Amino acid sequence: MDILSAFVTSIQSVWLDSGFASFTVGNFIMILVGMVLLYMAIVKEFEPLLLAPIAFGCIMANFPRTGFLEDPGVMQLIHYGIQFEIFPPLIFLGVGAMTDFGPLLANPNTLFLGAAAQFGVFISLAGAMLLGFTAQEAAAIGIIGGADGPTAIYMASKMAPNLLGAIAVAAYSYMSLVPLIQPPIMKLMTSKEERAVKMDQLRSVTKFERVVFPISAAIIISLLLPPVAALISMLMLGNLFRESGVTDRLSDTSQNALCNIVTIFLATGTGMTMNAESFLTVQTIEIILLGLLAFAGGTAAGLLLGKVMCRLSGGKINPLIGSAGVSAVPMAARVSQMVGQKANPSNFLLMHAMGPNVAGVIGTAVAAGTMMAMLAK
Amino acid sequence: MDTQVSNPIVIMLINMTIVFAVLFVLSLYIRLIHAIDPTVKPSPAAPKADTPKVDAPKVLPPKAAAPSVQEGISGETVAAIAAALASVGVGFSRVKAIRVAHRPGWTCAVRSEGLTSSKKNK
Repeated sequence: MDILSAFVTSIQSVWLDSGFASFTVGNFIMILVGMVLLYMAIVKEFEPLLLAPIAFGCIMANFPRTGFLEDPGVMQLIHYGIQFEIFPPLIFLGVGAMTDFGPLLANPNTLFLGAAAQFGVFISLAGAMLLGFTAQEAAAIGIIGGADGPTAIYMASKMAPNLLGAIAVAAYSYMSLVPLIQPPIMKLMTSKEERAVKMDQLRSVTKFERVVFPISAAIIISLLLPPVAALISMLMLGNLFRESGVTDRLSDTSQNALCNIVTIFLATGTGMTMNAESFLTVQTIEIILLGLLAFAGGTAAGLLLGKVMCRLSGGKINPLIGSAGVSAVPMAARVSQMVGQKANPSNFLLMHAMGPNVAGVIGTAVAAGTMMAMLAK
Repeated sequence: MDTQVSNPIVIMLINMTIVFAVLFVLSLYIRLIHAIDPTVKPSPAAPKADTPKVDAPKVLPPKAAAPSVQEGISGETVAAIAAALASVGVGFSRVKAIRVAHRPGWTCAVRSEGLTSSKKNK
């Protein structure tokens, strides 16, 4: 009898220590959400490099009793990387090393398209405040409209850490859905004649301009907006590695090995913020809807300024490049190219759209910096 | 004094203005970099103001002139070019001039075509 009793007690204690004993319906729903995200990443190929680790992180976050965030270890290290805003600037280093600022330098007017597309950020901010979010939370939600994952995470970590999971998921989901969300808005807001406008070839940009720009832009923006100095400086440092011509190894590491490693940590860590207790709330649904509003608003505002520039230039600017002002590099520029080519098969807008696209990255960082300077507690 | 703004519209307007202002400054700065770029070759000097004005030559209606062929190009080469053009269907055009083009791109294109053809033939 004693042996049987000891056996039952052991089994009971194993069961009580297991995750199954503490497994909730919420955990189950969130694991299903993670699987849906995995399906979208693997089968539908929506931004799989980001969505796959986010989805797996979401599944891991819903294993009860793991102590991931309490006990020292790799999971806590990843969490600290997000909590203390270590990963977003490192991602920006890689983005800078991958980005060609040439189209922006050749046509600096495209910076205004990048600025106009930030309108969505502020529409969403206003909407969130009207729904009862605090100004800090509203600012973090609004930045989803910038379609810039690292900046959204950076902003959420600083201004609304409690909403980090929902904001990150909304930002990355909408980034991956750019080819589905933007074209209907683009077609609705432009005529076929406007979409068919062919733009003149851009002037060539010298190495002097390519080297001086990242150095001076880092100095100017960081002095103007210290809260985003880490993001902008790393973006420009990465670009300097690329353009200087003497740091090829550093450029290669920044845009490949380092960027991939940090992406794994950042995306998995983001997924791990999606536990049932903090994610399955009405606020999450509100954030996802506000994110869509921000994204659509940014696209529409960029197109609207594109139309104005088209008129002012006597029809030399295709308004479709305005929609690339939301950052999502280079996806938004590709969408401009795709929609433009449908209207006129001999149209090549990709390089023209890269100007507002990289301007959007800078614009989103500037928008984040102004909101942090103005609203941070 | 508490300076925290709580009106969402005011926050929106202030932030949009700052974003546009910062990016406007940046666009001016990009133009400045371009203007002071010491590596740009100066454009050919504009004609001096006191240079006597010369009337532009009158545009004459095109004549069916014989093609201008650079010295050193043999008649066989001209015939080969004309035959090649005719064979690809450029019959509606007229050869106006034939000269040696100092562009290595043509040489490269021929080499590339040769390599591609030899690969195809294997």
